[in-house]
Amino acid sequence: MRTPKLQRSDLSTSALSRRSVLKGAGAAGLAGYLGTRAGAGAATLVQSTPTVNIQGTSLSILQWQHFVPSFDTWFEQFLNEWGQANGVTIQLDRINTADIAATFAAEIAAGQGHDIVEHIASLPQYEEAVLDMTDLVAEATNRHGEQLEMCRNNSFNPTTNTFYGFTHGYAADPANYRKSLWEQVDLPDGPTTFDELLAGGTRIFQEQGVQMGIGMSQEIDSNMAAQAMIWAFGGSVQDENENVTINSPETIAAVEYMKSLFEGCMTPEVFGWNAASNNQLLVAGQASYILNSISAYRTAQEQQPDTANDIFFSPPLVGPGGQDLALAHGHAVFTSMIPTYAQNQDTAREFLLHLVANYEAASENSKLYNFPAFPDTVPDLFTEGGWLENDPAGSEPPDKLMPLSAANDWTVNLGWPGPANALIGEAFNTFVLSDMMAKAARGDVTPQEAVAEAEQTLNGIAEKWRTEGLIGGGQ
Amino acid sequence: MAVVETRKLSKRFSDEVMAVDAIDLRSTDGEFLVLLGPSGCGKTTLLRMIGGLEPPTSGEILIGDRLVNHLPPRARQIAMVFQSYALYPHMTVYNNIAFPLKAQKVDKAALKLKVDWAALILGIDGLLDRKPRQLSGGQRQRVALARALVREPNVFLLDEPLSNLDAQRRASARDELQQFQRDIGTTTIYVTHDQIEAMGMGDRIVVIEQGRIRQIGTPREIYEEPADTYVATFVGSPPMNLIPDGGDLVGFRPESFFPLDDDGRSSGDDLVRFTLTDAREEYLGSEKLVYGEVNGVKAVARMATNAPLSVRDGGSAPFGVHKQDLRIFDRESGLRRQLARAAQVEPAPVSGAPGR
Amino acid sequence: MSATTTSGGAAVGAASGGERFFLEREKVLGPLMLLPAVIYIVALVGFPLVLAVLYAFTNVTVGDPRIDGTGDFVGLDNFRAVLNDNVFRKALRNTIGFTVISQIIVIILANILSLVLAADFKGKRLVRFLILLPWTTPIALGVLGWFWLLDSVYSPIDYALRRLDLLGPQTPLGPARNMYWLGETELARFAVLLVHIWRTLPLATVILLAGLTSIPQDIKDAANVDGAGFWRQLFYIRLPLLLPIMAVASLFSIVFTFTDLTVSLVLTRGGPVNDTQVLATWAYFKGIQGGSLAQGAAIALFLLPVLIAIAIAMLRLARRAGAD
Repeated sequence: MRTPKLQRSDLSTSALSRRSVLKGAGAAGLAGYLGTRAGAGAATLVQSTPTVNIQGTSLSILQWQHFVPSFDTWFEQFLNEWGQANGVTIQLDRINTADIAATFAAEIAAGQGHDIVEHIASLPQYEEAVLDMTDLVAEATNRHGEQLEMCRNNSFNPTTNTFYGFTHGYAADPANYRKSLWEQVDLPDGPTTFDELLAGGTRIFQEQGVQMGIGMSQEIDSNMAAQAMIWAFGGSVQDENENVTINSPETIAAVEYMKSLFEGCMTPEVFGWNAASNNQLLVAGQASYILNSISAYRTAQEQQPDTANDIFFSPPLVGPGGQDLALAHGHAVFTSMIPTYAQNQDTAREFLLHLVANYEAASENSKLYNFPAFPDTVPDLFTEGGWLENDPAGSEPPDKLMPLSAANDWTVNLGWPGPANALIGEAFNTFVLSDMMAKAARGDVTPQEAVAEAEQTLNGIAEKWRTEGLIGGGQ
Repeated sequence: MAVVETRKLSKRFSDEVMAVDAIDLRSTDGEFLVLLGPSGCGKTTLLRMIGGLEPPTSGEILIGDRLVNHLPPRARQIAMVFQSYALYPHMTVYNNIAFPLKAQKVDKAALKLKVDWAALILGIDGLLDRKPRQLSGGQRQRVALARALVREPNVFLLDEPLSNLDAQRRASARDELQQFQRDIGTTTIYVTHDQIEAMGMGDRIVVIEQGRIRQIGTPREIYEEPADTYVATFVGSPPMNLIPDGGDLVGFRPESFFPLDDDGRSSGDDLVRFTLTDAREEYLGSEKLVYGEVNGVKAVARMATNAPLSVRDGGSAPFGVHKQDLRIFDRESGLRRQLARAAQVEPAPVSGAPGR
Repeated sequence: MSATTTSGGAAVGAASGGERFFLEREKVLGPLMLLPAVIYIVALVGFPLVLAVLYAFTNVTVGDPRIDGTGDFVGLDNFRAVLNDNVFRKALRNTIGFTVISQIIVIILANILSLVLAADFKGKRLVRFLILLPWTTPIALGVLGWFWLLDSVYSPIDYALRRLDLLGPQTPLGPARNMYWLGETELARFAVLLVHIWRTLPLATVILLAGLTSIPQDIKDAANVDGAGFWRQLFYIRLPLLLPIMAVASLFSIVFTFTDLTVSLVLTRGGPVNDTQVLATWAYFKGIQGGSLAQGAAIALFLLPVLIAIAIAMLRLARRAGAD
């Protein structure tokens, strides 16, 4: 199952050997770590008590392969400890994220499969095949306080009033930039606005020969970059009521900006990328600025410490829409679904609650990749002198991750200001946004035409899902 | 027209065996020369070397007194007919016959004339639009001949062209082929393992065994004056009887071996008497064979079905051979004892006689 | 037998005698031996095909793939939606284009290659083995290899071009330091074609090689004696004789190329801007990843007419071969 097929952006290389090296190193570091924190290598912080009798049941989980390998090591142990404590037989199958959707589709068609399917994005198009998680969200909220709104929206369909997933955490999507390059264009803390990005990036490209790495390819990161840009310029793909609103002067301005950015400081490689490419470029020292989670940086720490030391983070850029619209998606939104055919639904629910209860360990073992959906569960993360200020996985300087401290504020759900619905899901998977940017940037069509074409495609998709009753709008 | 000659021609394949071993051979102009031998004796290899399809290991090949060793097949002015006929299966009969002419860039009108001429000679003018798979074996053979003919070669090389025909068809084809060769008068080298073909068609026969020539001669010489016991037993069916007598082998043909009257009436100076023991008769319609033993060695006699013979199965009977029908061979070498004398009498060439 | 009859009665005797050879009867054995093939075809070919056709006329999604009743049928809606989609039209064009162009090139190269390999030379076996290697490599692995060869930063091809002073500042292919094989439409299409050719060439070559060696030596000898030079023999003897087997090789390769998902999926994901999108990848993105199972099925159904035509052509070839 670990064939290095389609890697998502966070996986900086697909060389298996490197991964296993990383994994080993991560596990070794982890052991010493936990020794000071918890007793004798236990992965579990809190042993939650099930509210229903799950003794003697079993639980099978289909999960994406984590981009920070130490998380998987921890999770395996954590799951086993829970199984032993509660008399539950455990089965864990991990596959590449890119294969989750297809595997899940096959299981749905077969009417049997795993009890929990966890993906790094919401899968609204699967709503009819999964359980409504409203009770579970309520229970978790009851135990651990409010769930982040972004995480709620990322798994909730207001049209059907259904939680089609349970989001337990997310990965922030900051900018990653090479400090040494930006220092030379007098922006030592990286660009903060889109204007600075264009001006500085162009100068870096011309003077230092290093290009920018914002993709316009048929992959997920390019989609997210395009969406963030549309937001910052004041546009949106859909409104709160799930009407397609992409064709606006704001979106056209964003597309025009992207075109200038491409012409100023990017190469045609950005049209042919897969999701891992921008990471590779950054780790190779060939990108001045990319939009991505911290996993590329974590990889670089292992493989290219010098490059890692030069990688810094910054929050979303401010565009014509102002500070309030400087937004980003959750780079990954960890969403668990319980299919209707699941044999052990209660067991699945209990485990998800148990996972939330132990999110501090999850967050730590993911090297801060996983941010909690229930912030109260990881108090050490955002507090003064906490993990972001003093990276437990080691950073130089130790507070390098501080730009992520407001991530809960600037991260919004897929499809914002509307819900994360099947329209947005299909639009992302058929690359409507990134293709719109690419067509205009390459000069195939004008920005106006590109946006109009995207609007037409989106309306077609929306119409279909509306007929299915899965999205609203259209009045 | 041309004379084909080989000088010390040898071919050794990857293994150590000599497929063709220093063969000296010279045809006469317009001759029908048959290479006869068992399968694997090297006769086809010899033919293919003459045709240029197989490079010789050593020796020379001359066609029309011109050294052709380094000429490709197409430059040797030869035509070849293969055992399988090797017709081009995707071409019509017309195009098959025309193919060599097209290769020579003969102009269209002349080409058609020639094809029609060849087809007419071989009686296949009605088949020109057919594909080879729609033809019978005999028709295919004639197409192959026509294709060879249109090139008007100096030499025909035929590699067992009748072996794919059924027995009946083969007899008439033999006659047609011989007639055809006589008419066009082109030097022809014909490979076969079938002694009837060889005897019936060849002007001369070259008997080959293990890459070497055993004897060259007219069919009559080969049959009546075999140069050694190999030729004596290879040619003729049933083969020559060979009865040991001291250091000699006494040979005589089955048809020269006839029963004597019980009273020995048919005795005479020129008669040599034998006793055939353990006799057994085989009826073959027009003739019959009598098998038995002479001096403990198998022998056979051939006679007309109505020949008077009274011998019980397993019984004995007196048999005789006229002295002039006896051929004496050296038991050690297998060579004919009187051959040297015979050679003086007969004008037949003996080059390539066995030198074992 | 008679003992059985007397002791157990005629019926028993007949039955036991019949049972003994029951399986040897052609009427029993034949269907029995065919059964696995029939089950295989029905279960793994027929059923999915029927399902795909049904899906294409319904509103099923990945989340709700059940056809619950006539209400789920939407007529030609999916086909209308698909045909109205620019990307679909691009994918259709690309699918046909990649197939036709790559297979023309494959047939030409396979002919040349098989002629070379049919000749006698030292190390022939090794070369034959090496040429066959791409065919034995799992396709995903092979394409991944190409993916790295064509990487936008680390491409060894680019490296070689730079070393040869063909790429980089002030060079014929410059001033860029990389070709961006998968980022430029023409290069990406070229790359996809290249991988298809790389992948199907070995099989076509081996099939043609088998065809070449099955041409009787006599025919080649006859052509030699008849005075045909290399080219005449090639165009008038070898190629015409190879034609039927070339058709077989072509049909195989066409099926592989036409229905291929992996090359575009791994190499370009259909990019840039769907310029290398093919029907198989587009059906996958739309139907599985995007969730519109019905539209995905409708897209995939466009493969069917071509595949049926190829199947008929193959059957005809087989029948003609049997008739000869």
